[in-house]
Amino acid sequence: MSNKAMLEIKHYSKSYSGSKKAADDVSLTVESGDIYGFIGHNGAGKSTTIRAVVGVLDFTEGEIFIDGHSVKNEPLECKRVTAYIPDNPDLYENLTGIQYLNFIADVFGISAAERDKSIKQYAAAFEITDALGDLISSYSHGMKQKVAIISALIHKPKLLVLDEPFVGLDPKASFTLKEIMRKMCAEGSAVFFSTHVLDVAEKLCNKIAIIKHGRIIASGSMEELTGGHSLEETFLEADYE
Amino acid sequence: MNKNIILLKALLLSTSRMNTLKHCDDKKKRRKAVGAAIGTAFLYAFIMFYCIIMCIGYGHYGLIEQAPVMCALLISVLGFVFTIFKTNGYLFNFKEYDMLMSLPFKSSTVAACKFLYMYIKSLPWYLSISAAMLAGYGFYAHPSAAVYPIWIVLSFFLPLIPMLIASFLGFIIARISAGFRKTNIVQTVLTVIFVLACLSLRFVIEDIFTDNKVEQTLGSISSATGSAANYYLPVSWFSDSVTRLSATDMLFLIGVSVSLFAAVFLIVGKTYTKINSALKSHAASKKYRMDSQKTRSAVQTIAFKELKRMTGSTNYMVNVAMGELLAVIVGVLTLVLGLDKIISFILHGAPISADMLQPAIPFIVYFFIGMMASTACSPSLEGKNYWIIKSLPLEMKTVYQGKMLFNMYLTVPFMVIATLMMCISAKTPALDTALYLLLGITLCAFSTTRGCVCGIKHLKLEWENEIEVIKQSAAVTIYMLPNMFVTMALTVLVVFLGTKLDHKLISCAFIAVTGIWAFIDYKRAIKYGSEQDN
Repeated sequence: MSNKAMLEIKHYSKSYSGSKKAADDVSLTVESGDIYGFIGHNGAGKSTTIRAVVGVLDFTEGEIFIDGHSVKNEPLECKRVTAYIPDNPDLYENLTGIQYLNFIADVFGISAAERDKSIKQYAAAFEITDALGDLISSYSHGMKQKVAIISALIHKPKLLVLDEPFVGLDPKASFTLKEIMRKMCAEGSAVFFSTHVLDVAEKLCNKIAIIKHGRIIASGSMEELTGGHSLEETFLEADYE
Repeated sequence: MNKNIILLKALLLSTSRMNTLKHCDDKKKRRKAVGAAIGTAFLYAFIMFYCIIMCIGYGHYGLIEQAPVMCALLISVLGFVFTIFKTNGYLFNFKEYDMLMSLPFKSSTVAACKFLYMYIKSLPWYLSISAAMLAGYGFYAHPSAAVYPIWIVLSFFLPLIPMLIASFLGFIIARISAGFRKTNIVQTVLTVIFVLACLSLRFVIEDIFTDNKVEQTLGSISSATGSAANYYLPVSWFSDSVTRLSATDMLFLIGVSVSLFAAVFLIVGKTYTKINSALKSHAASKKYRMDSQKTRSAVQTIAFKELKRMTGSTNYMVNVAMGELLAVIVGVLTLVLGLDKIISFILHGAPISADMLQPAIPFIVYFFIGMMASTACSPSLEGKNYWIIKSLPLEMKTVYQGKMLFNMYLTVPFMVIATLMMCISAKTPALDTALYLLLGITLCAFSTTRGCVCGIKHLKLEWENEIEVIKQSAAVTIYMLPNMFVTMALTVLVVFLGTKLDHKLISCAFIAVTGIWAFIDYKRAIKYGSEQDN
């Protein structure tokens, strides 16, 4: 029995005025339970696609559906079930970590008891509890990333979208995040993330898409795609072609 | 809690000084926050004092009935001008756009909350004007008790309409720019054209009043403001609400403000994502071919970096280069129309001739060019990129020398062109012209070094939005306000001295004084800059 499609990208294209297409006829499907890796060179179109998925970037060609809702026509329904962690999170620097998390929890209407539990749990897992009372401006990049991750998790999203999530995280936090991603997918959510770290993608993902010059050049389950080779070899081979 | 309130609360908290004071242990930061609060309190006091003095003037001449009109006009003009410069940066193209838009907010909610944030942040300025004028009006006009609450309540609505109009114009500029590849350049050009159009409009309106033979007295100002109320209806709605206790006018002001707010954000919300996508995207042609590269000295390369920083930001370019553009426009107008005509147009026939005004030419040009120095904001604009210059094998004095050099490159050519045009128009003798040019260049050096001292002394690297640095920082305020008032006073002083002393002598004296001051400030800038090496 096939799983429910959490994210469907259908013939999505994006071009900026007067320049080449940043994304060209991109199509892929992320089902519940999937950890879907999105890999490609710098400037290949990963972030452009991800930003369109989370409703930050407008687009005219193609369609994107999240949990059956159109990103174009029902953006709020999509955003309610999605969480996004950008590669370089721009948080409100003059809020404290806890103020920021409360802001996100308020937006998603999370009860006091539930947010207490989630924040306590994730802050402890990412070892950031002590710093939550400090201004975000005093945080390191990794600490900001941790706050952004916690804010993404506290509303229990059905689809977690991450752009280069492991950049700046310490080894323990990277491990914790990977465990959380696995747990979320085991519980029926889906994860879609871009990365340059092929080893991580190989160990973590069950599906992969490779994007080059805005076009998907290979996609499918890890086994189908690699055919017994390493992901690195597969990526370089696909890239060479 | 309503989502609008949640977002608004977060936006306000994220820039609240109180929040910084409460949660920050860094004593230096806390001191800065307290200092900024005291500085702001002084400015509030200054504005209120100015408004009370204005009311005393009205009261003294029996024109106190004009106070509500003046109050409404002042708030409306300030609301409009402040908003038009802030729209790009606050409403569009802001830093945390990705984070906010990925949350379940409607586009119109984000836009409206951003507008309300601008409104609430600037409201204390408008309310301080209103409160001071209400006090003056109350003292001289002895109105009924009902006027006080009505005045206060309506003061909250007064800035809304001009701010909404300015935001909508900013939206149109952003909407048009979004259709172009070089969005930044198009946005800058449109904003400059728009600001110049507004300035011309001011003169056209003044001209209308002048044609009506309005005398140059306080009475004429009150007639002028009265006429303005006929052109801009919210002013008369406010005035009639408080002077005649007209419920219809009250309802008009409140109703139109609220309806306009709803209409503007319904329209803006429809294309908000599209506009921001375009403004935040940078087109890549990917056509570059490696060629031989140019080399520059460290100081020159910092100056070049500053140029690219300026041309890359609409806010930076509009604020820094507007004065230069205005100086050249004034120069061209003087050349085409003649200095005498310009003087009589601006001073409405005051007994000042072109000859008398000659020694003040460098100060008049400097009034525009020195209005803003890039050096006052460029140190803070480094922001998160500060690490780049700090990690380079460069002394900080070299960095600041580069920043100062850029400001000289930016100001001197415009100063020379504008001064030359005015001198030609005024038929200034060659030697006097040379001295005025030299004085102009010395003034540019002074502006550059003064700006740099302010910029380094009040360095603020942590900011959410570059507008905070370009328009609202302590460095810019401390540079700009005294510089503007002193230049105005010096212009008057020089004209006066010119009637008593030789023009060349006056110029030489000012060249010496300004040169010495510029040199002292240069040394101070280098000293403060070098302290950052440690």
